[in-house]
Amino acid sequence: MSWRKPKLTTGLTAIVLTITVFPYAWILLASFKRHEDLFARPVKWIFNPTIENYVALYEKDFHQYLLNSVIVGFSSTLLCLVIGTLAAYCLSRYRIPAGQHLFFYILATRLGPPIAYALPMYLIFDRFGIANSHIGLILAHATFNLVLVVWMMKSFFDDVPREVEEAAILDGCGPFRVLFQIALPMTYAGLVAVAIFVLIFSWNELLFALILTGNENRTLTAMLPTLVGHPKGLWPQVAAASIVQTIPVLVFIFFIQKYLVRGLTFGAVKG
Amino acid sequence: MISNRSPILRISSEAIFQWVCIAPVLVFLIVVAVAPTAVAIVDSLRNLALTSFSQRGEFLGLDNYRELLGGDAKFFTALWHTVVFVLIVVPIEFAAGLAIALLLDREFKGRRLVITFVMVPTVIAPVVVALIWFLLFLPTFGILTQYMNELGLFRSTGVFSDPITAFGAIALIDIWEWTPFVTLLMLAGLSAMPKEPIEAATLDGASRWQILRHVQLPLLKSLIVIVLMLRTIDASKVFDTVFVLTGGGPGDSTEMLSTFAYRTNFMSWNLGYGAAICLVIAFASLVVAAAFYKIVSRQSERSTP
Repeated sequence: MSWRKPKLTTGLTAIVLTITVFPYAWILLASFKRHEDLFARPVKWIFNPTIENYVALYEKDFHQYLLNSVIVGFSSTLLCLVIGTLAAYCLSRYRIPAGQHLFFYILATRLGPPIAYALPMYLIFDRFGIANSHIGLILAHATFNLVLVVWMMKSFFDDVPREVEEAAILDGCGPFRVLFQIALPMTYAGLVAVAIFVLIFSWNELLFALILTGNENRTLTAMLPTLVGHPKGLWPQVAAASIVQTIPVLVFIFFIQKYLVRGLTFGAVKG
Repeated sequence: MISNRSPILRISSEAIFQWVCIAPVLVFLIVVAVAPTAVAIVDSLRNLALTSFSQRGEFLGLDNYRELLGGDAKFFTALWHTVVFVLIVVPIEFAAGLAIALLLDREFKGRRLVITFVMVPTVIAPVVVALIWFLLFLPTFGILTQYMNELGLFRSTGVFSDPITAFGAIALIDIWEWTPFVTLLMLAGLSAMPKEPIEAATLDGASRWQILRHVQLPLLKSLIVIVLMLRTIDASKVFDTVFVLTGGGPGDSTEMLSTFAYRTNFMSWNLGYGAAICLVIAFASLVVAAAFYKIVSRQSERSTP
């Protein structure tokens, strides 16, 4: 559009990018700095990079926390994908008695503050002895991501043309075959995007992880704040750990950008 | 060929299918949401403070609720902080997010990459956001502290050691973290917008501001309502950054509802009273969720007639 001044908009875009990216870039630099380079006065922009921080993390059994995050992430994703997709398909195709209430209740579990749901879970998991295990956290992460699966998958199923399914039913297909051989393949891309979102939200989640895990099954995200309390200030290692935690997320986000709007609003807004 | 099975069989196979679909989610929700809530309700009526072993578990009736809503100063301070926090960050995030969306709403080289970079603050873990700003604002050695020192600021105090600046910094970080979210949604709305009204207004000689005010914003109205509601709901739940950066301090100057609930339960181990707090918060958010649900479902009805 001709009334825009191209130089001004390019300059403003550059400023916006600097503000959003600089803090992250700074911690990326910090992860390759030695302690004395990071804590230099005045600020050191040029320095001799090192990978010793990443090596130090590896030597500290950091991969155990990484593994915990992966176990919890994949198990909870699988769990809520299976039960959520079935429910979403049913809510999309049939008029279920009280279906609207169910749909709303699933949303409510996500809109409330996590602490209000984490504490009751802690109280009951503690009684069953799974308060300090992967199982409790997997259930918790599956719960608060259920809304994402149900709401997003319902919106994808709603977009599948009914005619295709009706033709299959006339050909004698039962409802199970219609779901697995027609509806699911047609929403495959959306299903993958939903899975990635659930994985990322589980990976990034702090509060449930803090409350429902002990030292040995702590996830990477819940372990990060504990590094800060260290008296010597392990900042270069904190930076390295933060980079390890965020790089997979950024890579995934680049590839599912098309679904970002739906994912961040759990399907309430179709981008 | 039409299926030769009897209608009764057909209906029952569909009924079975519906049960297979819905039963897992029902069982799951009963185990992880309904049963825990029931336990929490019972616990909220009891004295489960770690400090009082002699009367631990004693039934108190509604005493916990009476104490909480009848004037627990800490609770109302946390509530007040949360309200002020929401009222500061949400309007700023909305205005900045909309402005950036208008800036990026055009074709240019590398647009997809630029948007990915703009989204960095929103998609990385909130814990990492907190750690990044912790490092930037570190007393004496943080890069922002050093540059602010040169301007004569924070020479003797840290950003997080003064009540006002600590609160301001938490708000600033939230704005940094969530403005891109508003931008993304507004961009989606702007690019889905029909081009004709804007072109017509341009031909009529309308200014950029007039087009925004009288053409684009009215068309975005329903999306704006959703964005504002989502941000209000999420901002009122702020936890991770406060937990890492200030722990609610100094004093109680950055204590929010969720950190207050966390502290009562998992630092003071006052689980009965803590359960009452969580249930009150959950009930309040249920009301908000109902309003949100009404708006969203009304809109999807309109968009798919």
